Amino acid sequence: MDQAFAQRRRRDLIVAACLAGLAALVPLFVKDVYYQNIMVLTLMYAALSQSWNILSGYCGQISLGHALYFGLGAYTTALLYTKFGVLPWFGMVAGGLISALVAMVLGYPCFRLRGHYFVIATIVIAEITLLLFQNWDWAGAALGITIPMKRDSWLTFQFARSKLPYFYFALALACIAWFVTWWLEDSKWGYWWRAVKDNPDAAESLGVVVFNSKMGAAAVSAFLVAVGGGFYAQFVSYIDPESVMGFQFSLLMALPAVLGGIGTLWGPALGAVILIPLTELTRSYIGGSGRGVDLIVYGGLIIAISLARPQGLVSLFARKPKADARPVREAVAS
Amino acid sequence: MTILLETRNVTQRFAGLVANSNVSISVQRGEIVGLIGPNGAGKSTLFNLIAGAFRPTEGTIVFDGEDVTALPAAERCQRGIGRTFQVVKSFESMTVIENVIVGALVRTTVMRDARRKAHQVLAFCGLDARADVLASDLVPSEKRRLEVARALATEPKLLLLDEVLTGLTPVESQKGVELVRRVRDTGVTVLMVEHVMEIVMPLVDRAIVLDLGKVLLEGKPADVVRDPKVITAYLGDRHAVGA
Repeated sequence: MDQAFAQRRRRDLIVAACLAGLAALVPLFVKDVYYQNIMVLTLMYAALSQSWNILSGYCGQISLGHALYFGLGAYTTALLYTKFGVLPWFGMVAGGLISALVAMVLGYPCFRLRGHYFVIATIVIAEITLLLFQNWDWAGAALGITIPMKRDSWLTFQFARSKLPYFYFALALACIAWFVTWWLEDSKWGYWWRAVKDNPDAAESLGVVVFNSKMGAAAVSAFLVAVGGGFYAQFVSYIDPESVMGFQFSLLMALPAVLGGIGTLWGPALGAVILIPLTELTRSYIGGSGRGVDLIVYGGLIIAISLARPQGLVSLFARKPKADARPVREAVAS
Repeated sequence: MTILLETRNVTQRFAGLVANSNVSISVQRGEIVGLIGPNGAGKSTLFNLIAGAFRPTEGTIVFDGEDVTALPAAERCQRGIGRTFQVVKSFESMTVIENVIVGALVRTTVMRDARRKAHQVLAFCGLDARADVLASDLVPSEKRRLEVARALATEPKLLLLDEVLTGLTPVESQKGVELVRRVRDTGVTVLMVEHVMEIVMPLVDRAIVLDLGKVLLEGKPADVVRDPKVITAYLGDRHAVGA
């Protein structure tokens, strides 16, 4: 049984490596910048959703305020670069660390809340921070920050002529987020998180420090999301509060995981690959008059999923029940 | 024999209701002690106080020579108090083996060791064939055994069993009784709350009777069941006259 488990872990890793390898080849065949742009966004949202999934999927603390960490990452990176000339690479790490710290400071009071109250707290805190940034003159207030374009360079992580560097960075980010999840899944933290999600009282009685588990999940989740935010700032090279901290980002991080399978290893990536291209394409085909059609698509998909596959799309690939798992009756009688 | 657990004058009030009043009990190492009493006697409250689900209003709880009154449940588990819940609290989205691994992780952070330990405990509890089944797919009697397995994986010195034998068929409860005996034989002290006297009395070395939040009586099971005070507590005055 241990071997079967180890095999499954290894198989996940190999499949992921193959998929990443294949994804890396896609730009060789897809030269259209518009489609490349969609691919960058898809990979970015896969990474973000994977990170969101750590706190909300595995640990069960549903956050609808992760735009806060996305925005903090974007702002830290942009501000450090434009005000102090700090390279975005360090900016992204700094943004990650700041976000992790903020997540823990906020978690201290918020993790005492359970269920809906926690969700509402996350929304409210993100909205308050959005308002603060809209009025913070030094950080550009509502006008935002324009990142001055210089020569294309990996050093400053700026590329005006090609989307490819962004594509590969986003791919790397998605891989890192996936790998962190994979690694944590079979660790003390992974088990603690799932125990906390399923039944905090029972978890506590088995030596799980529930509060610390939530804090750990929040920190890891916020760090990774903020790195994604830093990347996004460089990618679009102009940010304002609404465009990096708006509520839609919180939703866009949650939806792929919900669609693909919340609290699963593959769910967020699968969800992002379906959801993001679909919405981007509907938005462009329907055109200017169709504002909001992408949201209708979201809504429709979520309704369809909750009716047909409440566990998310990954459940389509779920393992068949094992042959040696004896039927209930027999097990009772033995 | 030495004392493993002691409650000293423990009192617990819930908004005016006194659930435990001045309860002092002790449990020796290696014993199986039954905690019995009619509904509302305060058995579950006392259990929760010992396990650390909440802190007593007054009194102290000493475990293994240490005052643990202020320690949260997780730390008491680390000290060696394992428990089950009266209303089964499985991790429903996890498989049986994963449920048990959570418990095993108190003693090790090496996943391979935790997994091996979990398999051992499942075999001990007769659940190994169900290791890869989701906990939500277990039948009630299996869920009870999973609760025990999970607690055993934390390698407790004291195991608190909250009505694990209640509501089972005679065959199942007989197997439960055997399991509890085997647990004790591995050196674990057992304190169990039970409702069903005829199951628990042959099993325990000593019985403590709670009534209306107080210790009514303690002693050998055979003496306890014949005591008029106990019969009164369970059945009312009318029956005690005849006894």
